[in-house]
Amino acid sequence: MAEEKEKEVVKSIDDATIDMIKKAGEDGVRTVFDRADTTKPCPIGSEGSCCNICAMGPCRVPLPKGKEETPEEKRKRTGVCGATAETIAARNFLRKVAGGAAAHSDHGRRVAEAFLIAAKGESPEFQIKDEQKLLQLALDLGVEIGERSNNEIAVDIGEMLLAEFGRQEGELLTLKKAPLKRQEIWRETGIAPRGVDREVVEAMHRTHMGVDQDYKNLLLQGARAAIADGWGGSMIATELQDVLFGTPSPVLSQINLGVLKEDEVNLIIHGHEPQLAEILAVMTQDKELIEYAKSKGAKGINLAGMCCTANEILMRHGVPIAGNFLQQETAIVTGAVEAIVVDVQCIMQGLVDVANCFHTKVITTDSRAKIEGATHIEFDERKATETAKTIIKTAIDNFSNRGKNIRIPKQKSDLIAGFSHETINYLLGGLFRASYRPLNDNIINGRIRGVAGVVGCNNARVAHDDIHVRLVKELIKNDVLVLQTGCAAMACAKAGLMLPESAKEFAGEGLASVCEAVGIPPVLHLGSCVDNARILIAATAMVKDGGLGDDISDLPAAGAAPEWMSEKAISIGQYFVSSGVFTVFGVTWPTLGSKEVTEFLFKDMEELYGGMWAFEPDPIKMAKLMIDHIDKKRKALGIDKARERVLYDMAMRREME
Amino acid sequence: MEEYKIEEKSAPNRDKVEVLGKTYDKGKPEGEEMGRWRQKLGSRAEKLKYLSTAERYWYGKDWFGSEKRKNPA
Ligand code: SF4
Ligand code: SF4
Repeated sequence: MAEEKEKEVVKSIDDATIDMIKKAGEDGVRTVFDRADTTKPCPIGSEGSCCNICAMGPCRVPLPKGKEETPEEKRKRTGVCGATAETIAARNFLRKVAGGAAAHSDHGRRVAEAFLIAAKGESPEFQIKDEQKLLQLALDLGVEIGERSNNEIAVDIGEMLLAEFGRQEGELLTLKKAPLKRQEIWRETGIAPRGVDREVVEAMHRTHMGVDQDYKNLLLQGARAAIADGWGGSMIATELQDVLFGTPSPVLSQINLGVLKEDEVNLIIHGHEPQLAEILAVMTQDKELIEYAKSKGAKGINLAGMCCTANEILMRHGVPIAGNFLQQETAIVTGAVEAIVVDVQCIMQGLVDVANCFHTKVITTDSRAKIEGATHIEFDERKATETAKTIIKTAIDNFSNRGKNIRIPKQKSDLIAGFSHETINYLLGGLFRASYRPLNDNIINGRIRGVAGVVGCNNARVAHDDIHVRLVKELIKNDVLVLQTGCAAMACAKAGLMLPESAKEFAGEGLASVCEAVGIPPVLHLGSCVDNARILIAATAMVKDGGLGDDISDLPAAGAAPEWMSEKAISIGQYFVSSGVFTVFGVTWPTLGSKEVTEFLFKDMEELYGGMWAFEPDPIKMAKLMIDHIDKKRKALGIDKARERVLYDMAMRREME
Repeated sequence: MEEYKIEEKSAPNRDKVEVLGKTYDKGKPEGEEMGRWRQKLGSRAEKLKYLSTAERYWYGKDWFGSEKRKNPA
């Protein structure tokens, strides 16, 4: 019994999840936690030492374990075509970047298309909500403002940004947001990207059998494609979403499976894109639909989010979150979910299998992401209300099919989210003197040691949420302000770190004093995975404000994805590194099969870009690496010995005299 | 942004003086409205002005911050 309990603790640190893992066991339901027990990762593939890009393979070229290989052995360690372990590991790495960049950017493209539909007035549901951000984009892109209507301006912006995805020549317009020095570095090293479509296609071409077989050259294309994601596709997604749905401002909400309600129709929206989620957030408040739910015996309709779609509607509407990546199946295990509606990305196929054990309907909504055995209701922006109604009605109609086997965990935590770059700037200085100055000053005077971005997924190979929470607690204890997105943010929100009062309990004295003065938590929620672009912008604002060097690589800052699992995380890491940020990943590292490739990513990239990768699965050691880097940057800036200025009052002065 | 409100106050041994009135919004916002600050900017001109001051890092004409270069890279 004790052993069983221990095993569950190892699977998650979240009591709600542990409870549902137990219930799944009682109900005979197989979830990701069980599948991770039976399907072990392949040790050769996980180190990037397997090539299967042509039919002469798959070729496996693992690094010999427990002994140094001789030069002769190394020479022979190749695929059938002669590809070395370096080429194979670098190709695999570049393909991961390409996959991740494609995912973020195809999301961005869909948003740009929806934006244009709204700008042209073709959808009554979608309007230009944030004129301020629209004007900002117009200034960025040189679109005429004058007396033109918002829609006229928006059409120009939408068309320009949509064209950016397929830009064939020159460089992305949005690169201009980066610090000037950073832009020069990219140009000098030949990695200022064109459109993400072109960079991803080129990456796929170069990793095809018999093309680019120089690992350094391959990895540089990785940097280029990743920048096209972070400073392109993802950034475009974030900016246009803000214009369409509003730039996030602080909002109070709740998180964890305890947000599900026993007496209401529970509808979960899961995935990444906000368009459908936005309309569901509105339509679940619709009186007629609520009446319809009541007519079926429910007290109301309860919308909750999951993964990054959840982050999108949390940031803008305060819609509660049911959980992060590893909780998608456990939500169904409660027995109380009428429908789980999915759009794209991070949706486990296992959902359908789990749902079959209960009454839950899995509803796919995007033609790019269908799942065998799920119900498909295609979402069309031009008929947004109609689609949303059909989906909500399907969930309501399913309420009467709920079984008796219901157990909703009690756990839920309060959190404050909504920290866009614009809001941070405003909160630090107020409406009349919005500024990053107070942040920079507090870094310079040492109250805040530095800033860390902790982002990314959950991974069933490590205890759910554990690495996130331990890492972030260690960072804030050492006065490092933490910016978060994605499932990482959700992990820390569940642990109560996203409330202003957590500063007192968990943060170091210096950071706590600043949090108290500004009224912010020590861990700020900046949004979804594409919103990592907000972290890039915040870092740029810090650089531009002055006093902390003239490039992102000068900042006392570091990044981490402690429980990463998706290719998107690799793309994010690569664009952070290529933007000058030291970035540590946990769990596993996909190039360990080649010392040279790993060395290039962990060391040589620093010389080229000022940022580099590291791998460290232990959260405390990971925090140490990040803090050491922050201290190294403080030293280079000459602020390592900064002391707080003492403000003398009259009594002290008299004493001195 | 609203115009400043001026209030008249009397001070001991002095004539009435004009002081700056309340500058905060009335009432306590609730729910979704609680953290909303962008709505305080009303007209397009105000919004553009806010961009050139608050977001001066990118849109300020005479502000260069750490990047003291007149010519864009
Ligand atoms: S490309 Fe070379 S290494 Fe890869 S599978 Fe084909 S033969 Fe093997
Ligand atoms: S953080 Fe990772 S797991 Fe979570 S939604 Fe984003 S990509 Fe998916």
